[in-house]
Amino acid sequence: MLDLNTKKIKKNAYRVTKVRGETASRVRVPGGLLTAELLPLIQNIAETFGNGRIHLTTRQGFEIPGIKYTDMDAVNALLQPIIDKLEINQEIPGKGYTSAGTRNISACIGSNTCPFATYNTTNFAQKMEKEIFPNDLHFKVAFTGCANDCIKTRMHDFGIIGMTEPQYEKERCMGCQACVKACKKKSVDALSVENYRIVRNTEKCVGCGECVINCPTRAWTRSPVTYYRLVIMGRTGKRNPRLAEDFLVWATEDAIIKIIKNTYGFVNNYIDREAPGGKEHIGYIIDRTGFEEYKKWAMEGVELDPRTIVKGPVYWSGIHYDGK
Amino acid sequence: MTELNPYIPFLSKITEVIKHTEIEFTFRMTYSGDVKPGQFFEVSLPKFGEAPISVSGIGDGTVDLTIRKVGKVTDEIFENYVGDTLFLRGPYGNGFDIANYKGKEILLVAGGTGLSPVKGIVDYFSAHPEDCKGFTLLVGFKSPKDMLFKKDFEIWKKNINVIMTVDYPDEHYDGNCGLVTQYIPELMIKGLTDAVGIVVGPPIMMKCTINDLLAKGFKEENLWISQERKMCCGIGKCGHCKIDDTYICLDGPVFNYTKGKFLKD
Amino acid sequence: MGYQTTAEKINAIFSDLSKDYLIYAPKRFVGDGTFTYIDTIRYGEITDLAEIEFAEKSNYSFKEVLLPISETLFYFTENEMKEADAPKKGAIVFLRSCDLHGLKRMDTIYLENGGVDTYYKRLRDHTKFILMGCENSFENCFCVSMGTQTSEDYDAYLKVDGDNVLVDSRWDYLDAALAGATQAPVIADSVTANDTVVTIPETVPQTLFDDPFWEEYGNRCIACGRCNFVCPTCTCFTMQDIFYTDNGKAGERRRVWASCHVDGYTDMAGGHAFRNDKGQRMRFKVLHKVNDYKRRFGTHMCIGCGRCDDVCPEYISFANCINRLNTLVNDTVKEEN
Repeated sequence: MLDLNTKKIKKNAYRVTKVRGETASRVRVPGGLLTAELLPLIQNIAETFGNGRIHLTTRQGFEIPGIKYTDMDAVNALLQPIIDKLEINQEIPGKGYTSAGTRNISACIGSNTCPFATYNTTNFAQKMEKEIFPNDLHFKVAFTGCANDCIKTRMHDFGIIGMTEPQYEKERCMGCQACVKACKKKSVDALSVENYRIVRNTEKCVGCGECVINCPTRAWTRSPVTYYRLVIMGRTGKRNPRLAEDFLVWATEDAIIKIIKNTYGFVNNYIDREAPGGKEHIGYIIDRTGFEEYKKWAMEGVELDPRTIVKGPVYWSGIHYDGK
Repeated sequence: MTELNPYIPFLSKITEVIKHTEIEFTFRMTYSGDVKPGQFFEVSLPKFGEAPISVSGIGDGTVDLTIRKVGKVTDEIFENYVGDTLFLRGPYGNGFDIANYKGKEILLVAGGTGLSPVKGIVDYFSAHPEDCKGFTLLVGFKSPKDMLFKKDFEIWKKNINVIMTVDYPDEHYDGNCGLVTQYIPELMIKGLTDAVGIVVGPPIMMKCTINDLLAKGFKEENLWISQERKMCCGIGKCGHCKIDDTYICLDGPVFNYTKGKFLKD
Repeated sequence: MGYQTTAEKINAIFSDLSKDYLIYAPKRFVGDGTFTYIDTIRYGEITDLAEIEFAEKSNYSFKEVLLPISETLFYFTENEMKEADAPKKGAIVFLRSCDLHGLKRMDTIYLENGGVDTYYKRLRDHTKFILMGCENSFENCFCVSMGTQTSEDYDAYLKVDGDNVLVDSRWDYLDAALAGATQAPVIADSVTANDTVVTIPETVPQTLFDDPFWEEYGNRCIACGRCNFVCPTCTCFTMQDIFYTDNGKAGERRRVWASCHVDGYTDMAGGHAFRNDKGQRMRFKVLHKVNDYKRRFGTHMCIGCGRCDDVCPEYISFANCINRLNTLVNDTVKEEN
């Protein structure tokens, strides 16, 4: 006879599935990068307690289905080395994931591998995980290396898009215009030529680094500091799916971490306590409080780089299926 | 002693401007050094750049530069510099050696502005017809409007055999029509074994004309061509005009066909 | 004369020399590369031996010291021209044996072919060259095939081994500065073999200029010109005239590096161009490096540093192209016989 507290189960990162008696365990992999040695451990859980199959989640975690609710303690024990190795914050060792509301933080492959990435997305994702997990509020955060946005940060509550500020050493430029062509064809056409030298339209430039990548003489190089575009409140869902909009442009790592942490305070304060399952997307809360109130909470104590542009008021579009 | 900086141009006065067409003028420039037909000057326009222009006439203390308005530099010459001065560097290149043609029967085939670099040769033999066994100038222009050196033609016609043709005649034109190559078969060349052929014009015109002259019986070693390439320096440094082991600016632009036929870009 | 001395002593000599010379050496530019967190090894000014990157091949050659990427030739107003001033100081350049051979190629073009280039000569006359040895061959090097693995044309050879520095000086100034240092025989480190070996065809028949062999390169090459820009023997330039935006009557003429792979290299006013096909540009470059240059000047142009292979974003190997070309030439000759 099963007698379960489904709220506790869910908070422990298990799903209440459609199959009576069976759950599924979600394994967090911040930044979507793990060492191969962990795969046999996941395999072992799936083969010992699951149905031998593993689902790759959209958030870059693993979901191991077909686990008996009665085996959750045993599974939690087997999860421990994975949790340890991936350095997941945890309240009680051996008891599995402390919470599940703040979802696994995903990241594109980033500068470890990708030629376009402007920063190490995995490292930033792991750092963010350390800062905000375990929190059970429903936050989705994703990191992407460049404006191509392969991880689709614009469908997240918080999307962090890497930017580099191109540095131009005019004496190393012979005016071959490889950068101009690349910017025009692959990016936003922010470069023009004046007197055989390149002029960058700083308002247009999205910091993708195509100029740097295509420069054959190192006339274009990257800024020592990596900057980020912080896009907020993208979401999917039944009522009003929408893409995230720019909040900060040319923001620094510290500012982004602080804003996201501040947002937990905002949500705690304004969340609808009657919301089904105690879950409410941040975006709907902001819809209720107004953007300026959110901004007040989010920017509390945030130190901005002089380059940072703060957008506002921010409006979101998207489709309103709810007729509002 | 410091060597002269070859990149710094000298100022030359425009003594006369002869307008051939809307876009082709001859600038008569003061210049008193040695110069040969087929050599070229870099016409230098501060702010706009330089353009290699071949010598189209040599006078007493002057050289003629026939300039076609086709680019940034030449556009500007036409807009702003008429009646004033121009900066020049040069002369560069080997040029045509008149001595190579003296005492021979000469056929000179030119297409359009290709007449400029060889005009000095025509001028010479028109003035000294006794120095050769015969001189035929076969020249083609796109249309009557594009004709260059009209006044010179009047003089040449008196002294040498001139065949002029246009690709596209207009209603007032009653001369020869068609490509220069159409007129090659009918040419009466007396001694093909040592007759000289000089061919200058657009690449495709030169290729077809040379083929026709070879077919007619001209000898390779008696054929001469002049090549045109992008040049930034004129002195063997910038590399743009190099073809195989040859620098057009140093070793050319005039080549005997026995060498010229191996110039493959 | 060979000496054994200390890094401290050499740095002190450099300090004295810096009154009259800028010292250029390959050094690490952190994060300066094409991709994020990738360093570049290229030439920059140094004041201390520790700044010199001895352990890796430089991505760019020393040529930018003598042939700057962008060099102002003269300034002009409407009717006057004024030659740009030469640098006030001379230069000391650290470079490897292959690059010293590259220097000869530059000399050939800029001091001999068609006469003396004022701007090159005035830099060259005030430049001293310090050889860096090669204990091991780097990836893609084929100096041994090109016969450039050793060079005697240096003003000094310098080897750093911890605090010890071995010097072979052929420069009076240095000999005087090192008077009192321990004398020791010093022989420059050099390699005797490379992993990459190239065989250059003796002659390449012109009938092969249009061979389908080049088409493959035409499909692969993206005409970025990186192979030219990193090459110590590529010396082409293009002129640029600029006018000052705050005074439209004044301006300057400068020359900038040019590349026979990049669009526009053969474009003439009026629009005619000669090698639109990228495969033909490859043919033009390859044969210049290992065929027609030698016919004109007596040595191959390529010095086997392999930087073109290091840098090509499309993984086109120049070295392999030569070897494949050699096979093609041999097969063609066999067929004809």
